[in-house]
Amino acid sequence: MTDHDQTLNAPRIGNVPKSAVRGKPKRATAFANGWRRWWPFYVMMAPGLAFFLVLHYLPIWEARIAFEQVRIVPPNIWVGLKHFYVLFASPVFWQVLANTLIISAMKMAFFLPVPILVALLINEVRGGRLRKFIQSAIYLPHFLSWVVIAGVFIAALSPTDGAVNNLMGMAGIAPRSFMTDTGAIRWVLVFTEIWRSAGWDSLLYLAAIIAIDQQLYDAAEIDGANRWQKIWHVTLPGIVPTIATLFILNAGMFLNADLNQVINFSNDVVRSKIDIVDTYVYRIGLQTGEYSLATAAGLFKAVLGTMMIVTAHFVSKRLTGKGVW
Amino acid sequence: MALSRKTPLERIEYAIIVSTLLLLVVVTVQPILNLLAVSLSEPGRVPGMSGLTILPRGFSLEVWTVLLQHPNVQRGIFNSILITFVSTLIGVIGTALMAWGLSRPGLPGRKALFILVLVTIVFEPGIIPEYFVNKRLGLLDSYWSVILYKAVNAWYLIILIRFFEEIPKELLEASELDGANPFQVFWYVVLPLAKPALATISLFYLVFHWNEFFHAMIYLNDQSKWPLQVVLRQFVIDGDKLAIVGIDNANNNTGASQIDLRSLKAGMILLTIVPILAIYPLILKFFTKGTMSGALKG
Repeated sequence: MTDHDQTLNAPRIGNVPKSAVRGKPKRATAFANGWRRWWPFYVMMAPGLAFFLVLHYLPIWEARIAFEQVRIVPPNIWVGLKHFYVLFASPVFWQVLANTLIISAMKMAFFLPVPILVALLINEVRGGRLRKFIQSAIYLPHFLSWVVIAGVFIAALSPTDGAVNNLMGMAGIAPRSFMTDTGAIRWVLVFTEIWRSAGWDSLLYLAAIIAIDQQLYDAAEIDGANRWQKIWHVTLPGIVPTIATLFILNAGMFLNADLNQVINFSNDVVRSKIDIVDTYVYRIGLQTGEYSLATAAGLFKAVLGTMMIVTAHFVSKRLTGKGVW
Repeated sequence: MALSRKTPLERIEYAIIVSTLLLLVVVTVQPILNLLAVSLSEPGRVPGMSGLTILPRGFSLEVWTVLLQHPNVQRGIFNSILITFVSTLIGVIGTALMAWGLSRPGLPGRKALFILVLVTIVFEPGIIPEYFVNKRLGLLDSYWSVILYKAVNAWYLIILIRFFEEIPKELLEASELDGANPFQVFWYVVLPLAKPALATISLFYLVFHWNEFFHAMIYLNDQSKWPLQVVLRQFVIDGDKLAIVGIDNANNNTGASQIDLRSLKAGMILLTIVPILAIYPLILKFFTKGTMSGALKG
């Protein structure tokens, strides 16, 4: 902020005669002057602030039941880290944590490159209309709910009349029930994630590609570079910062393997393979009623997740100048 | 560069690039078109229909008629519209008012408030504490529990703050000199300038609330308040066919029970997408522009 800004934003009522404020502590006066100018803004912010305090901060306070024994007749009893010991001694918890990390790692390895490739391909398309048509089609799934997407894929992966098995049948491959196949279900998660968001995410890279200086391409052309050489030597280096940013941010979200997705692709047969921390919290908390244990698991994930995302933010900011916020 | 000056090799390359993308388009759209074909076919001819086709067998609106006349579906549509609209309205108003304050550089406590918002993005204590807060406030089983879920979204708030920060100072000062108070400045100067940004935020909220199902599912025991997504989930994901067919129809083999479940499911999935498709042109217009102009993640 420049000095000029500060003058403009100084309290308007600040130029009252000095005599009027003589004797009062300086800080209090500044506060009073500030309040007189700024109270309307606080009135306008009040509903939003109230919302954040009640529906975001009250839950943080409520999370103390992770350290309490919930009793039907209040008050609850403070039990310290007891629930965390139970949690860490439970093989199921380590299994869901492992599932979360495995699914996130698979998505990171196989999802992240796809939108980059899509963006590079779209950038090569010359006709404006053709380009718009392709974009309009592949962005759509990003705006569908996971309930809808799961519904679409339960149909498409059906062993009897699903598109995938129909295709495999034409190639002479025996039908497979992907949704109830413990070996396939994690790949179903990865693929549906790609189906849903690879198109839309390519837009982020496309924005970076369009920002590349056209002169670089012209220069490459004069040097006799072909299409692939231009992509390799101009386009890719130009979007490396965006790739790095998205990679780091994704790493920060590693513990979020996407509850909304998993809960709709889960069933009794494959649950053990794709049960993640969030679905575990939901199941033992709201379905079995072990509130304290579930909250402890949720808090463990929240604290670890916060550390990861804050680290990711600062690493990204340091390396690429762009952070999470 | 005119295409005519391309070498044959370059033309083949280009053809490969375009075909790859068109294949992507097919993979994206075909599963949805197949469901459309199934839902529009004559129900009796649906069994044995391939998952690859996008052409209906015969033509019949029976599935859609049955679904749209079904009380559970009608309730679902009503609930979804109610929740989505009220929530979006509250969200846009709350977000705009709060973003305006937070975008003023001189606001006392601005940094602290900004951090207060950021904390809610990086630290989420989880669904159990949220559930208990709703319980304590007596919101469980009321529309408000779902309406207020992420009513003011911290991400959208940040987007609007960034937008308001760009409004030229001169405009604001001119109206202040004319004697306008901060409320008038907001109403007569800021809001009209922010129309495109507000439209974008409104669309964000509409899509978000229309697609929300998880919190509705855990907060609402009362099935008559379920939004369409939860009805769809019960029917298609949980495979509870009575959700749509109904116990009387199932016992007497009447009404929806006579229609192939596959057709009903296809119709139900598509019904839930219709509003998204209706505003999709607007989404393309505003989201694409918003994302292209620098906002990293939406």
